[in-house]
Amino acid sequence: MPTTQPILTRPQRWDEPFAADMSDELVQRLLGIEPFVRMNPADFPRSTPLAGILRNDARVVELRDGDLIVREGDYGSSAFLVLHGRVRIALESLAPDLLGRESPKRLSLWQALAPLWRKPKPPELRPSLSARDANGKVALRNEQAQPRVFLQDVPAVIGETRTAQLRAGELFGELSALARTPRSATVFADGAVTLLEIRWQGLRDLMKHTPALQSHIHSMYRQNSLRVHLRETPLLANLSAEQLSVVEKAVEFQSFGSFDWHHDLTKPNAPDFAQRISREPIVAEEGELPMGILLVRTGFGRVTERFGEGDRTRDYLAKGAAFGAAELACTTITGAPTPLRHTLRAVGQLDLLLIPALTFTQVIAPTLPRDDLHRLAAEAAPVKQSSTATPLADRTLDFLVDQRFINGVEAMVINLDRCTRCDDCVRACAATHDGNPRFVRDGMVHDQFQFAHACMHCADPVCLIGCPTGAIHREQTTGVVQINDRTCIGCGTCASSCPYTNIQMVEVRRRDGVIAIDSLTGQPIVKAAKCDLCNSHHSGPACQQACPHDALVRIDLTSPTSFANWSAR
Amino acid sequence: MSIRYFKRRRVRSALLLSAVLIIAMLPFRWIDANLWRTEEASGWTLLLAIIVLTLLALRKRVPTAPLGRVATWVQVHLYLGLGSAALALAHVGWKWPTGWLEGSLYLAYWGTFISGVAGLYLTRTIPKQLARTGEQVVYERIPRLRRLIADESQRSVVNAVAESGALTLANFYQSQLFPYLDAPRSWWYGLRPTSELRRKLLGELTSLNRYFSAAERTAAERLFALVRKKDDLDFHAAKQGVLKGWLFGHLCLTAVLVLLSLAHMVTVLAFRGGPG
Ligand code: HEM
Repeated sequence: MPTTQPILTRPQRWDEPFAADMSDELVQRLLGIEPFVRMNPADFPRSTPLAGILRNDARVVELRDGDLIVREGDYGSSAFLVLHGRVRIALESLAPDLLGRESPKRLSLWQALAPLWRKPKPPELRPSLSARDANGKVALRNEQAQPRVFLQDVPAVIGETRTAQLRAGELFGELSALARTPRSATVFADGAVTLLEIRWQGLRDLMKHTPALQSHIHSMYRQNSLRVHLRETPLLANLSAEQLSVVEKAVEFQSFGSFDWHHDLTKPNAPDFAQRISREPIVAEEGELPMGILLVRTGFGRVTERFGEGDRTRDYLAKGAAFGAAELACTTITGAPTPLRHTLRAVGQLDLLLIPALTFTQVIAPTLPRDDLHRLAAEAAPVKQSSTATPLADRTLDFLVDQRFINGVEAMVINLDRCTRCDDCVRACAATHDGNPRFVRDGMVHDQFQFAHACMHCADPVCLIGCPTGAIHREQTTGVVQINDRTCIGCGTCASSCPYTNIQMVEVRRRDGVIAIDSLTGQPIVKAAKCDLCNSHHSGPACQQACPHDALVRIDLTSPTSFANWSAR
Repeated sequence: MSIRYFKRRRVRSALLLSAVLIIAMLPFRWIDANLWRTEEASGWTLLLAIIVLTLLALRKRVPTAPLGRVATWVQVHLYLGLGSAALALAHVGWKWPTGWLEGSLYLAYWGTFISGVAGLYLTRTIPKQLARTGEQVVYERIPRLRRLIADESQRSVVNAVAESGALTLANFYQSQLFPYLDAPRSWWYGLRPTSELRRKLLGELTSLNRYFSAAERTAAERLFALVRKKDDLDFHAAKQGVLKGWLFGHLCLTAVLVLLSLAHMVTVLAFRGGPG
């Protein structure tokens, strides 16, 4: 008889189950209903058994009539299965005020000039502190330690909006949970409803071991977004509709890494940079033959090259970028197989579309103009081996990826060689926000560049995940991540999720300037505050407008190009 | 490599300024030829230039107004400011004006002009010097950071004394290091920061090392780092202070210049004779 127990590698995420109250009995009941009853427990590995996933990665949520479950435009990391009751999905977009959001009002010229004569206000003054929306259509309910925003009078509020019903056994929200893309529709409870909420990690494991679920999710993606993505890819610009269909059919889906990338930055025992790079899963390795072209669907990839005892960063890729095209172009021209020059690694979660090599050579390459094909191939030629893919120094690329600044769409970078430390940027920010600066002119320094603590309006906005009221959201037209002060309940989830510590929790004051106190807890009321990119102003971010010496910029770091151009000025 | 943006901008703006100055001379010649008073034309233009130069202060006070980037205003300011010297010379000629008001005004103008040019030099050189220090600090936080350094140094020395009972480090600390760590530097250092004192103190600390106990040696290592940190703080305080002081001076001179210009304009209009 063996004396030792076999060691099972339980996923670390199960150290903290999604809900503490999932009992074995409940799990057994779930295993007996759709769609779990059709899943085969034998298909799951011992480290992540089906019952374990349900127990650790799912929780039961009870809702009342009108409760908002997901809001269009929100970012979420879980999907929902209707267990009991019904939910309604809005087939048309609902007005932002119905979702507890407010669009910023643009200031008039008169208002913009007001700082000249207006008396300064006390800090963080909030004349109105009610969580209830001004129009009375949505309200906040605080229960089960989980506050919820709900629609007050569903028929009246929804009016003519077309909706569809989802019943017990139906799943929703899975696509955006898996791809970390905005929710495409609003869903609310239609009467009392019981849902099973499954976090993305569990969902991904369920999908991995359930071919039916996998093909369901992939076919939904194919239907909804694949063609748009392919159409927007420059390499495929010359393809006819039929050729595009051929490519579309040939595409394979690949997923690497984890959405929890930001924990690496915030944990006190975060791994050092050399460790960090080695923990990034390898998608395709230097020296191997390319399987095809990899298109980034969501997430970030780090492109590295072997150097000494380690790997150095040569480039990084975000949504829309392609990897492996140069080598395949070379193969097309010379007929000889060309190995990959670089390794591609997943920084956080990386979702890719693989266009097989054969599809490239037979369908795509013939549509490329000769010059383009040769230019592309030249990038893979051995003579060019040591030339950088981008004009940024390797250590700068290393820095941007290691610190995850590559997530920043509107990062604030200050050129310290030009900055006279006059603080006009801070004063301008304060003037734009009733006397309250929304960033700190301090932060990590690399060469002469300082990466200030200002919200970067990230490509992967991890701060949005878990906001119980949807107060922090991304404005759809501008991409600005903003906070609705009225529905922010001060829970601090966003501030603690932000890996760059760019969100502050502030104590707010009443109209009379006194710190507001919560009547229930006796504690000061706090709200999340951060840069809103001055979206109520015509002239753009005041910090950048105010810098007298062209030292400060709001810049997109999701590709190295803008920063390379700006820093070389 | 393509010519850098800032260099290109400098060349473009300098060419533009020269072109404007040359073209501006033509109407003056024409006015001269027509027996009008050139002083009047150059005077009005100079006044307009001074007003536009001063408006920068207002622009900076309304950061939210959609009036173009402050950086653009500063660019216009720099070249207009430099160009205004030509106007001033055209207006007054190569002589010092008579009359106390005109004399003071001329002095205020050249004072402002020279302070502007000096400021241009300072704003282009100091940032690079500041960027070279290990830590970057916000001016207003310097006194607090200095306090923290002094407190930490005191703690390490007290611990060393408690641990070893030896007083060599403590005596040196009390007589030389603490006064240095605890206080801001003199205004003279502010004008011309040097690392002399830091080198002297660190040199003495090193030469005392052979007399230290083990606990004192550990504390001395920490003190080394703290002296360096304090020196960087002083450097930032001095250099950032110069930038702030300069801008304030330039602004004060501007205020005097504007007041005197207006007084001059009123007297000229009041005592105007001439044709008609
Ligand atoms: C001769 C007439 C001039 C006047 C009336 C004038 C006036 C002003 C004013 C009002 C400010 C804004 C101060 C503030 O509010 O912060 C300013 C800033 C400045 N001026 Fe002048 N100026 C003159 C000439 C010059 C010249 C000739 C130069 C250099 C070529 C110059 C360089 C600057 C610089 C670098 C700033 C600082 C901009 C900043 O950091 O915000 N000025 N000046």
